[in-house]
Amino acid sequence: MTRRLMEGSEAIVEAAIAAGCRFFTGYPMTPFTEVLEHFSKRLPEVGGVCINAESELEAIGMTWGAAATGARAATGSVGQGLSLMQESIAEMALARVPIVVFNMSRGQSDYFQATRGGGHGDYRTIVLAPMDVSEAVELTQLAFHLADRWRNPVLVYGDFLIAHTSEAIDVQPIDFGPLPDKDWGIDGSTSGTGRSRMITSIGIGKAHSPTSGIIGHFEGIAPHLAAMQAAEARVETGFVDDADHIVVAFGTAGKFVRYVVGKMRADGVRVGYVRPITLWPFPEDAVARASEGKRAVMVFENSAGQLIDDVKISVLGRAPVIPIGGISTDASGFGVGDMYDAEVIRGRIEAVLAGQEVTS
Amino acid sequence: MEREIGLTGIGGQGIQLAAQSLARGAAHEGRNVSLFGVYSGSMRGGRTDSSVVVADGPIDAPPLVSHLWSVIAMHDAFWLPTVEGRGVQAKLRTGSVVLRNSSTFDTDLDRDRFRVFDVAATEIALGLGNEMMGSMVMVGAFAGITGLLEVDSAIEGMRQSVPSHRKQHIERNEAAIRAGFDAVADRVLAAPAWSDDNEEVRA
Repeated sequence: MTRRLMEGSEAIVEAAIAAGCRFFTGYPMTPFTEVLEHFSKRLPEVGGVCINAESELEAIGMTWGAAATGARAATGSVGQGLSLMQESIAEMALARVPIVVFNMSRGQSDYFQATRGGGHGDYRTIVLAPMDVSEAVELTQLAFHLADRWRNPVLVYGDFLIAHTSEAIDVQPIDFGPLPDKDWGIDGSTSGTGRSRMITSIGIGKAHSPTSGIIGHFEGIAPHLAAMQAAEARVETGFVDDADHIVVAFGTAGKFVRYVVGKMRADGVRVGYVRPITLWPFPEDAVARASEGKRAVMVFENSAGQLIDDVKISVLGRAPVIPIGGISTDASGFGVGDMYDAEVIRGRIEAVLAGQEVTS
Repeated sequence: MEREIGLTGIGGQGIQLAAQSLARGAAHEGRNVSLFGVYSGSMRGGRTDSSVVVADGPIDAPPLVSHLWSVIAMHDAFWLPTVEGRGVQAKLRTGSVVLRNSSTFDTDLDRDRFRVFDVAATEIALGLGNEMMGSMVMVGAFAGITGLLEVDSAIEGMRQSVPSHRKQHIERNEAAIRAGFDAVADRVLAAPAWSDDNEEVRA
């Protein structure tokens, strides 16, 4: 194994290429810019295409087209840019087009955008939230696999710290198992046969390639979403069983929390953590089980309070749910504030243990 | 075991290159490494910090570390609290190892609380013909005092870190790293990184 020190954004690009991604497009915006830069350097070297789009609207549109051929295609931005892409993400989800979208977010305030989406219709995107560069390498590859497995957009939720932290990494392709053929792809292979294919978000077919039609298409959505929800929830838990208190956190915040909880455990404090790895499907069962019989469930997130909604839905009154996060950013607004400090987080957890109010 | 190393100074002192040299050098030895740099917009004189975590297993510590096992202190402008933050000293524990560039770092240090090693890095660099190589001197001294990595690995880390348009400086950087190592010949492994028992001591 030869490990090389690389920045998170570079590691993500190497992982995407290892997963077979050959089309990428985007519009620069920190800290997503570095991902776009690395793709622009690396994709031509492996026979792929990277396009610096005129805006996020064009980026998502071009990704639509590339993915519809069956190619592994991706785009991304920060939450602000993803706001512009919501219509197309919804359309692609409804048309069952597999793409991967990177949100190199400025903090964790895009949780609702990621898990609920701002588009139309009954759709969901699988959301993978790595806690560090090493996990981003794995989850980036998994994202492409899951997108193809479910024919559904998959979002990778990163941030400034993941984009800019360097780790010694050896990116190797990961085999997640077999996938169905992309016999739906508009790849030109059926042109002129009278059986040319069509991809649509409303289930319209052609005379020689009938589909289930609009009614069947829409009625098929609920079982599709339920199947993804049942199969893909991922979570890491630590020290949960004999804990009196639980802390829930995802992504970079989750990296901090598991570190702090590990240190507190070493000091004999009975606290545990739950770290959702998928934000949708949310690991409701794991959170519910972890909250059973606990004095309180704390939620540490870098936002005004978004993840906490899903925690409450999962806990369902089994224990009090207490926010210990808040908005914490830097002078550039990249979401790297003073709250990301193991001592600060420990102090907030200890305040709850002592029955004090936590102010962020 | 995890070792958190901070580097602090002002823009232009070579903090980021030194951090990358240590990180790539440790990775070269097969260690797990995490590196995060913070620097302000000004090219010269602004805040520049970096933290490197080196471990013999998967790294638990988040990239923004709260405690430093050791720090390479090139300048004291951001040592104590400022409007930009609580200062580097606040991250030290009792027993933390401080390599102080005595040429450019004036603030008094609590030598009962910290294990302080003075290295006249900028002066040594000047003697080699380029005062900008002080951080390379410190890298060599750090390898000698702590043994966190071999001095040859630090040099390899530096080689991998220098961008292609700066390759002409590699040889002199190597000389500076070796000069730093030689400057602490009487203090070799005075604060050994991998057999140190102060890990759980809190500040």
